[in-house]
Amino acid sequence: MRRSSQRNLRRLTAAKILFAVIFLAVGGRAIQLQLWEGERLMRLGQRQHLKEWIVLPKRGAVFDRSGDPLALSMESQSVYARPHRIQDATRLTRTLGQILNLPVAEVKQKIASEKPFVWLKRQVSSAEAEKIQALNMDGIGMFYEPNRYYPQGQLAGQLIGFVGRDSEGLEGLELKYNDYIRGEAGSSIAERDALGRRVLVQGIEGLRIPPGSDIHLTLDTSIQYIAEKELEASVVKYHAKAGVAIVVEPFTGEVLALANYPSFNPNNYAKQLPEQRRNRAITDSFEPGSTFKTILAAASLEEGVVGKDDLFYCEMGKYPYAGKVIHDTHPYGWLPFSKILQVSSNIGFTKVAEKVKKDRYHRYIEKFGFGQLTGIDLPGEVPGLVRKPESWSAIDLATHAFGQGISTTPLQLIMAYAAIANGGFLMRPYVTRRVLAPNGEVVLENQPHVVRRVISEKTAKLLASMLQDVTNEGGTGVMANVEGFEVAGKTGTAQKADAVHGGYAAKKRVGSFVGFVPANNPRLVALVLIDEPEVNVYGGIVAAPVFRNIAQGALRRLAVAPDKASPLPVAGSEAEKLNRRPVKRTNPSTAADSDGMPDFVGLSLREALEKAQTLKVKLRIQGTGYVVKQSRAPGNGSNDAEVVLLNLQG
Amino acid sequence: MRGAASSQARRMAGAKRERSPRHQHRLNGRQFVCAALLGLLLVGVLLAHVWLRLQVVKTGYVLATASKLQARLEQENRELQIELATLTSPDRLESLARRRLGLVPPEKGQVIILP
Repeated sequence: MRRSSQRNLRRLTAAKILFAVIFLAVGGRAIQLQLWEGERLMRLGQRQHLKEWIVLPKRGAVFDRSGDPLALSMESQSVYARPHRIQDATRLTRTLGQILNLPVAEVKQKIASEKPFVWLKRQVSSAEAEKIQALNMDGIGMFYEPNRYYPQGQLAGQLIGFVGRDSEGLEGLELKYNDYIRGEAGSSIAERDALGRRVLVQGIEGLRIPPGSDIHLTLDTSIQYIAEKELEASVVKYHAKAGVAIVVEPFTGEVLALANYPSFNPNNYAKQLPEQRRNRAITDSFEPGSTFKTILAAASLEEGVVGKDDLFYCEMGKYPYAGKVIHDTHPYGWLPFSKILQVSSNIGFTKVAEKVKKDRYHRYIEKFGFGQLTGIDLPGEVPGLVRKPESWSAIDLATHAFGQGISTTPLQLIMAYAAIANGGFLMRPYVTRRVLAPNGEVVLENQPHVVRRVISEKTAKLLASMLQDVTNEGGTGVMANVEGFEVAGKTGTAQKADAVHGGYAAKKRVGSFVGFVPANNPRLVALVLIDEPEVNVYGGIVAAPVFRNIAQGALRRLAVAPDKASPLPVAGSEAEKLNRRPVKRTNPSTAADSDGMPDFVGLSLREALEKAQTLKVKLRIQGTGYVVKQSRAPGNGSNDAEVVLLNLQG
Repeated sequence: MRGAASSQARRMAGAKRERSPRHQHRLNGRQFVCAALLGLLLVGVLLAHVWLRLQVVKTGYVLATASKLQARLEQENRELQIELATLTSPDRLESLARRRLGLVPPEKGQVIILP
């Protein structure tokens, strides 16, 4: 009895020891795994089930003033091959060729390559990408790559600029605002399962890498389009080398359009010439020619040196001055100052400059912002060249009077005219209204900025009225006239410096027109510059009609009502037929109307307005369609007493 | 007497001895229940942990699928935005308006400004 219990006790002890040994062994192993090898093993494990997912930077978009996109980013996939991993190369080559729409020979050559990695096709369409994904072949794969799209093509190409393959802005706004719109690249670590699928056990916070900010421009796509189209038409028509057209809002300095020709399509920037990329409006300076006479006129009027009606003798077209002879296109005798500006007499302006004197004139040139950067938010702006009066030779006063011997950028010139249009304030031009972060926060906002007052409001108004004469009968800019509006502006035909031989080139000219409309309450200032036109060189012919067409379209776009009443169409004219619906007249108007209040009932709105205008009745309109009721009965008393209310329906 | 007394004492002690294992057994039973409950609780906690862990993984899959879908939809949205912008570019609209609809810019007098 005692012996068996002793044996049991021994067995128990043995078991205890055994378990203790096992426990120690297991514990020891655990300590070894956890403490000594823990880190290494964890790394090994993580390598298998954790993966770093790269999040590519998402570049912000560029929008015009009404929110139409001008530049957008999208990730597109690029297909690559690892040739040595490919097995059935012949069959794969054919399939890939079909899917990617590539010649089979090209695919074959790439797959036969010795390299470990070859691109088959960069930036494939989503349909192609899906088919490649479905193939699921070893050795063929895809990477995401960010891609920039400019959906409007060449529209405002030089202004927007472009980005390189690595998503860095290289030109234009893309360069200027690169830091804002670039967006941050990031990565997040997430677990993956045995099949390599991502399992977001840590949530998605790590994936939320904010995209870049969006840029909202002051540019109006429609006006920009009109400007580019009209500019191109003129450059092509007159066989010119290049052209610039700018439209600016005079009171704020907002740029509504900035067109350059030759045009540039940023979608395939690499295939285009550097001169296509150049934003000539700010990077090129020109001798402005006669458009600069306005600056001298402003200086002389502001200083009270010359009055609007002061007479000058224009020497019948030939005026010996400082050892040279100054010519006018047409010979003139005695002319008042306003007429000198209207016909753009070089001799007249030389005499005005003599009165203003070079120091004072130079002060105004600088006040108007010439020789300095305008401060526009675009890269590559040049200040132009304005020489100090001390270095002017005797002839320089005369040449500066008619805009030669001095160089300005088109943007500087239009901003000077904007100052005249807005009552004397030089504004800083800008193309970006605001930069918005993805959360809607305003990161940067450009507000209208007055650089300085240049001339008094009185001088500005007087000058504006004188500039109106330029586009009226007898002026050089008649072709700039926009129907229904008063246009104030100035033509220019400048000689170009000859870079090779010095002096001026015999035939090279720059034709231009700068002006604002409506003259009394300007809504826009526009500049058109045609560089080296061949068929005709005069600004009044090559540039003024472009101004007219751009202004016409822009005013329509901005919904500006004409300030001159335009005559109504004659019944049955071509325009009428196009626009009018057949009208069933329930109560045709009769001659009896003229005795008193006319009968409007049954007329369309257009007809009622025509009738009211002819019979000088003031109307108020309610509703649309056809007139069903009028507030005063027809034939009732005089018709000019009060406003008649018309109710329309239909 | 002494013998009787001692035998009684022995009996009593015997009774004590007899009662004490029963008493011990009852205590063991309570302990067992406690231990079992504790064990169950532990197992329950472990199971809950495993269940939660499984849920996390399951949600991780759902999130991954949803995030993939989101990325795809965003991509699609961007593609459509580009397509829309391309289709509504003024250049295209003008040529369509002219060619397909026969529209022209309004001529003199066709625009009437309402009073």
